[in-house]
Amino acid sequence: MKTDDLITLLAADAVPERRVGQMLPIAFLPVLAVAGAVFLSIIGTRPDLAAALVAPVTSAKFVLPGALGLLGLTGAVRLSRPEGRDGLRLRALLVVAAVAAAMVVWTLMITPPEGWAAGVRGSTILPCLLSIPALGLMPLGAALLVLRRGATTMPRLAGALAGLGSGGAATVVYALHCTEDNPLFFVTWYGLALLALTALGASVGPRVLRW
Amino acid sequence: MTDQETEWAALLRAANAGDGRAYARFLHAITPVLRGIVRAKGRALRGDPTEDIVQEVLLAIHLKRHTWRDDCPVRPWLFAITRHKVVDAFRARGAQVQLPIEDFADILAAVPDEDPTERGDALKMIGHLEPRAAEIVRAIGIDGADFAETGRRMAMTEGAVRVALHRAMKRLAELRERHME
Repeated sequence: MKTDDLITLLAADAVPERRVGQMLPIAFLPVLAVAGAVFLSIIGTRPDLAAALVAPVTSAKFVLPGALGLLGLTGAVRLSRPEGRDGLRLRALLVVAAVAAAMVVWTLMITPPEGWAAGVRGSTILPCLLSIPALGLMPLGAALLVLRRGATTMPRLAGALAGLGSGGAATVVYALHCTEDNPLFFVTWYGLALLALTALGASVGPRVLRW
Repeated sequence: MTDQETEWAALLRAANAGDGRAYARFLHAITPVLRGIVRAKGRALRGDPTEDIVQEVLLAIHLKRHTWRDDCPVRPWLFAITRHKVVDAFRARGAQVQLPIEDFADILAAVPDEDPTERGDALKMIGHLEPRAAEIVRAIGIDGADFAETGRRMAMTEGAVRVALHRAMKRLAELRERHME
């Protein structure tokens, strides 16, 4: 086939594709909502949810992962443009990390050293470490499916950001249930669960986001 | 250079709004530039795959044209796609290629204006499409038929032909990819 013929074909094909940024919420939010509804209908929300949402320390359980979720997903969308290089908003991520670190330091200061280990340990490490990745898995799949329509030239980072975004959103859902309010606990284990999904996204990114 | 940017952006903007003729002009305008880039980099390759690679890049640009935001410059977008696909195509052919973005400026300044023999191999790939899709691709791409005419001949609605062509373009890109591996 001559290149001119190919151009004729391409010019004839005017079926529009939707943008990644438009599609992502349409695909991601319903999947997250269904996964979250199933999870919470089984395991329930915390009894004092309304108070927890507004108290400074416990609200961080929603605000911090929520911020990571937004930074991750919007970053992945930015990277879905081939010339996109600015997906990783390091400064904003560092602000979130700094707030989390400050909460840990502050808690260590007001807790006698012999209470530190118990604070980190809490009593629900395993449910936390299993639930967050499980909740985030389907939304991550939905996000990656949409990102495949894009044209990222940084697939590993885009995958990682999709993982971080899905993990952040899943953590917000999990926090609706979880009553562990010690920053030593939730910064450690929420953080670890988030990292696991981020690593998963990074590891599948190059294969899934190939084009 | 800025004129080129403005012209290409205007054409692609019109194209993304559904203007097929503007789109054809856009593709015709960028093809010699792509060819120049590929040829400048492809001397080390056996055979002369230049036109095949140019066609791969054109297909990729086509299938990813919705990733261009029309408030952004078009050339960085175009070169990012080109670089990605050229590196990919060369790697698939067993050659490494370095394609620093600064090179594009030089190549742009020295685009050859002669037209080569254009012996790409998309036609081979058309043979791998399912028969009806292949027929549509041949009718519109080679025989120059329009959608209404093709639809009548194949007892399909015009809309169905349009969708079938779109799917065929995606399929062609996939087939090329697989063919490479």
